[in-house]
Amino acid sequence: MRIRCPHCGERDNGEFSYLGDAAPRRPDGMEASAQAMHDYVYLRDNPAGTLRELWYHAAGCRSWLVVTRDTRTHAIEAVEPARDVARARSSGEAA
Amino acid sequence: MSDPATTRASSSQAFSSQASSSQAASSQAASSQAASSQASALLWRPRGAWEGATKPGRHGAPDGAAGVRLTLRDGFGLATLIAADGKDADLQAILAERFGLSLPEAGAAQIEGERGLIWSAPGQWLALAPSPHVLRDLPEALRGVAAVTDQSDSRALVRISGPQARAMLAKGVAVDLHPRAFGPGRAAVTSIAHIGVQLWQRDAGPTYEIAVARSFAGSFWGWLEHAAAEFGYEVEPGRV
Repeated sequence: MRIRCPHCGERDNGEFSYLGDAAPRRPDGMEASAQAMHDYVYLRDNPAGTLRELWYHAAGCRSWLVVTRDTRTHAIEAVEPARDVARARSSGEAA
Repeated sequence: MSDPATTRASSSQAFSSQASSSQAASSQAASSQAASSQASALLWRPRGAWEGATKPGRHGAPDGAAGVRLTLRDGFGLATLIAADGKDADLQAILAERFGLSLPEAGAAQIEGERGLIWSAPGQWLALAPSPHVLRDLPEALRGVAAVTDQSDSRALVRISGPQARAMLAKGVAVDLHPRAFGPGRAAVTSIAHIGVQLWQRDAGPTYEIAVARSFAGSFWGWLEHAAAEFGYEVEPGRV
């Protein structure tokens, strides 16, 4: 499997490390219920199909990336810098 | 539980007694300074990053001209530049005005002679200079715009050239170095034999340069000499 890093170009997946689902957002630990923290820490969907997930380009540009991958075929649909995804998400919230 | 006022008093006493004992120690140190500097001159000798691992001369396959030339570089200046958030344009302007250098885009290197900038990550570059001294003014010139960290002594640098240079690198580099995909002025951060490297191409010879963490110089050299052996290779020391 190869991942096309938006900064470095196409690279072998050995250069990356995997974190998992990019969707969960950490609740405010001072305010969230124990149940909400439990869900954030332990509960993940495991879809057979398209999943947006976090990868880290450890041996390259050391950037976090959001990779949209089909878990059945490993076909990669999109790779975006996680920074851009986070910024778009927080500007969406502000609007 | 001790009373906070007592704790403060006793700790300040401890501090002053420490201070007086260190005064006594410093006069003692002064008398033995001559002897210790003589000893350290024997113990602490500056040495190049490749020293110990490499041997100049012709190695590997003995027939014909060497296919690979490895030039060990020493005495160069290197520093990482990390642009402050949103200051890329300011950094670009200062580098152009003060140093005549332009910031290369992702995957590129801008090198003229022994000076240049090599892209290493978004908002991060490696500055290359003929000596560490040349980079001395950089932190002040870029104050508030970029973080500058001297790397002159923390990387080992080797220049790789010769007709078989690309064939040799292909054994360990998972980046396509074919001229249709890579060429002079291109740069990549990747790994070779599980060792993190930054590599860039200087000319179409082809001539490449690889920077590796200094503590990995010996391990990296182990890979290099095995990879180059079948082509026959020449090792030459080079100050710059």
